[in-house]
Amino acid sequence: MTNKPPSRPEFSRRAFLKGASAVAAGSAVGHEIAAATQPESGATVFGTELHTIELTVNGKPKQVKVETRTTLLDALREGADLTGTKKVCDRGACGGCTVMLDGETVNSCMTLAFDAVGSKITTIEGLGTPDNLHPMQKAFVECDALQCGFCTPGMIVSATACVQKRGKPSLDQIKADMSGNICRCGTYTRVFEAIQKVGGQKVEGR
Amino acid sequence: MAREEYEMKVGFAADQKTVKIKIPDGDLKPWDLDTKFETVGTDVDRIDGIAKATGTAKYTFDVNLPGMLQGVMLRSNIPSGRVKKIDFEAASKMPGVRAIVPLKDPAEGRRNRVRWVGDPIAAVAADRREQALDAIEKIVVEYETSQAVIDMQDGEDAPKLEGGEITSPWPDKGNERMEEALGECKHTRSGTWFAEVQTHSALESHGHVCSWDDDKGTLEVWASTQATFGARFGLARALNIGGDKVTIHAEYVGGGFGAKFSPGTEGVACALLTREAKAPVKLMLDRFEEHTCAGNRPSALMQIRAGIDADNTITAWDYRCYGGPGYRGRGGRTTFPRSYLEDAHVRATQKDIATNTDAGRAMRAPGWPQGYFAGEGMIDALAEAAGIDPLEFRLHNESEKLREAEWRMGAEKFDWAKRWQPYGERDYGKRYLKGAGMASAMWGQMGHRGRGSPNAVKVRIHADGTVESRNGAQDIGTGMKTVLAMLTAEELQIPVGTIKVTMGDTNDPAGPASGGSTTTPSLAPAARLAAGMAKNELRTLVAEHLRVEEDKVTVENGRWGVPGGKTLLFEEACKLIGPQPIEKVGERTSNYKGYKNNVCGCQFAEVEVDTRTGFVRVTEMLGIQDCGTVIAKKLAESQVLGAMIGALSYTLHEQRIMDPKSGRMLNGDLMMYKIAGAADMPKLTAHMFPVANGKNSVGAAGLGEPPSVAGPAAIANAVANAIGAPVRNIPITPDQVLAAIDSKKGGK
Ligand code: FES
Ligand code: FES
Repeated sequence: MTNKPPSRPEFSRRAFLKGASAVAAGSAVGHEIAAATQPESGATVFGTELHTIELTVNGKPKQVKVETRTTLLDALREGADLTGTKKVCDRGACGGCTVMLDGETVNSCMTLAFDAVGSKITTIEGLGTPDNLHPMQKAFVECDALQCGFCTPGMIVSATACVQKRGKPSLDQIKADMSGNICRCGTYTRVFEAIQKVGGQKVEGR
Repeated sequence: MAREEYEMKVGFAADQKTVKIKIPDGDLKPWDLDTKFETVGTDVDRIDGIAKATGTAKYTFDVNLPGMLQGVMLRSNIPSGRVKKIDFEAASKMPGVRAIVPLKDPAEGRRNRVRWVGDPIAAVAADRREQALDAIEKIVVEYETSQAVIDMQDGEDAPKLEGGEITSPWPDKGNERMEEALGECKHTRSGTWFAEVQTHSALESHGHVCSWDDDKGTLEVWASTQATFGARFGLARALNIGGDKVTIHAEYVGGGFGAKFSPGTEGVACALLTREAKAPVKLMLDRFEEHTCAGNRPSALMQIRAGIDADNTITAWDYRCYGGPGYRGRGGRTTFPRSYLEDAHVRATQKDIATNTDAGRAMRAPGWPQGYFAGEGMIDALAEAAGIDPLEFRLHNESEKLREAEWRMGAEKFDWAKRWQPYGERDYGKRYLKGAGMASAMWGQMGHRGRGSPNAVKVRIHADGTVESRNGAQDIGTGMKTVLAMLTAEELQIPVGTIKVTMGDTNDPAGPASGGSTTTPSLAPAARLAAGMAKNELRTLVAEHLRVEEDKVTVENGRWGVPGGKTLLFEEACKLIGPQPIEKVGERTSNYKGYKNNVCGCQFAEVEVDTRTGFVRVTEMLGIQDCGTVIAKKLAESQVLGAMIGALSYTLHEQRIMDPKSGRMLNGDLMMYKIAGAADMPKLTAHMFPVANGKNSVGAAGLGEPPSVAGPAAIANAVANAIGAPVRNIPITPDQVLAAIDSKKGGK
């Protein structure tokens, strides 16, 4: 479901910010790569140095330089220049930064970049392109489910997940699944129409 | 200037007028009630929809330049006082720091004042945002604090309040006459209303990417702005360089709602940082800053006393408002509905109360939703005093023919007669009570020519058949680009998809700030004219090619030439153009007298109140809205729907909570500052009401504000109708709903 933290790791941003002890609990993959990129000094505490990690974004490997505290959102937007994913609240409250991590939607602002190593990340750019639109992108345009468009990428990722999971969601299910995405221009009811239009179709997270 | 006399039909089906106008030389004959459109008024996909839906649209926040630094601002954490000393020593030695600029001057009386929590103190640019954040923590600021006023009720000029009612005496000026008018009324009512501060909360925060070229002395800027030309003006002045040295880009803007008219201190800071660091700098506000330093809709404490005569006509209306616009102490004025008050003796008194909080800014129909919330609430109270249905009461007092038609249409579509609960006692034993409410809207904006250089649009037709329409103002999400494309398509009789619209670059012709619903009515006639001029030029080429007289050449069903003779398709005609495209600039002319100077509109709401929890759910809303010529219908409806959703959010959910001690906003995020979400959505319908307003060649009126006016009042009136008692406070929270119900129960 939308905005549920990923089921896999316990290495969340919150846990990390609580203290260094969280590092030890980090997933094996994240730890290994971090260790491999540690500064020569041999320090065992993670600081503000940059580490190179490899993320799998939209089926392609991407090398990004991050600090241990860098979020997946910043790694995507600044490290990989994938700016379709938006930064709005940066605190897990708006869904503007929604991406799929191994098929589940997450708020990328609440996920550490390190923690996404080894996962399949799908961003709005991975769903479809202007020449090859994903059915949900097409439906959003046709239903005018976007105004300023700033919430739109996050909305479309959540909407795609909703249809992938539910098949043909009811209006109530759509409302529940889209509850993590805020739109200030007020496109919600158009968004519902777009999802209903795609509902029942088989949609891939390409 | 030579002017052609022209007669046109304006208004709408039930209220038609013929007006004579003089068309300025070179301008097009205006569209009127008899015009048949091909493209205008149809449902066309937003032309930048695909870019937005695929994440390829680049907003300011998305601009990443090589070598770009990240800027962060240090803001005061005290609400009132002076900066005595700032020490940058430690901060300047922090890793990655490349520039620091002070935004306060301890030595200068006017530039060292601290006016609210969030007042900018300094800005830092570093290689990475994390480093900039670390660095501002090392800036040492010494303050001298002074007494702060956080709640407007603590302000010196605040009125006395008892049990939620203003008890201070009404102002002396004109009071005698007012008392007289009230004294003559058959029934009078009075009440006090309060509307809390609302933050704009555009999803793209305020901010800029600024890039200084030290050799050329030029500044290139990407701005999340509602006013590209205003941003250029402001930043050129801040750096003390010529306007020709500054270029603004704002191709995509993630919302504004009235908060993004000036580059602000954050823009100035960004420009200073890039010049200092000699590298591009991105400085975007974070969400807390966005809530606390980027403007808001001011609060308003309003009181009305009013009365009706034996005929149920409103004959007296006394209104006063105390606005809460923050530290600047101005901008808190509100506007109440006047179309019912033709026969009334009216007085309005407004006063603003300054507080040490962020300054208010224009927000979607500034001051109107507040004033209409109170005003339409009073209209319902008077209708009840008269003992007649609120619809009937409104129709009786309404002076706008256009709205009268809208009231009737809306009431029928909404099934008002069935949904509205007759006066009388409510059964509080029932878990859920339903009720319905209505309210009017109004806005007066028909666009303008522009000051200095007129608002203008440039159209280019290339030899390969591609067409461009260009203007330097911005599309903040309203659909302005699509409007320009549709008008060009209409004039040239080509599909909308063949037109490329570019907006948001100050090297293109000037356009207005997107405020007060001006952009569409100001630019639409210029866009149509530019397309019309280009069309004439192409016609000349076709005439030469076909060796016929120019005025013989017509464009019909997409064919250019002499009907019955040889004709060319648009693409074929374009081949005659050659390497220099046809390029025409259409300039906005002044408005005609037209049909009328304002738009109307009305909205209806139905709510369901949980009598046990006090929770209010809006179950349905209907908006009827006119905006002159409806150009992009689907987009216009979207904007009305969006405004209704905004109204729902404002009326039931949004509340800025301030700590009276520290002056800090306690819910300055999107978690605790609730904005209506998917689960809160009612069934929503928007219905456009086309009017030929005859104000200019297109006759379009803006649509940003009008649909924002009625919603809060309609919802509040529905709540009152459901529970049989009004809640005169925005947001309408469950505790107040329960208190209102209790007061009714107690009164039995
Ligand atoms: S930016 Fe991640 S949830 Fe708001
Ligand atoms: S379209 Fe503007 S925030 Fe959703």
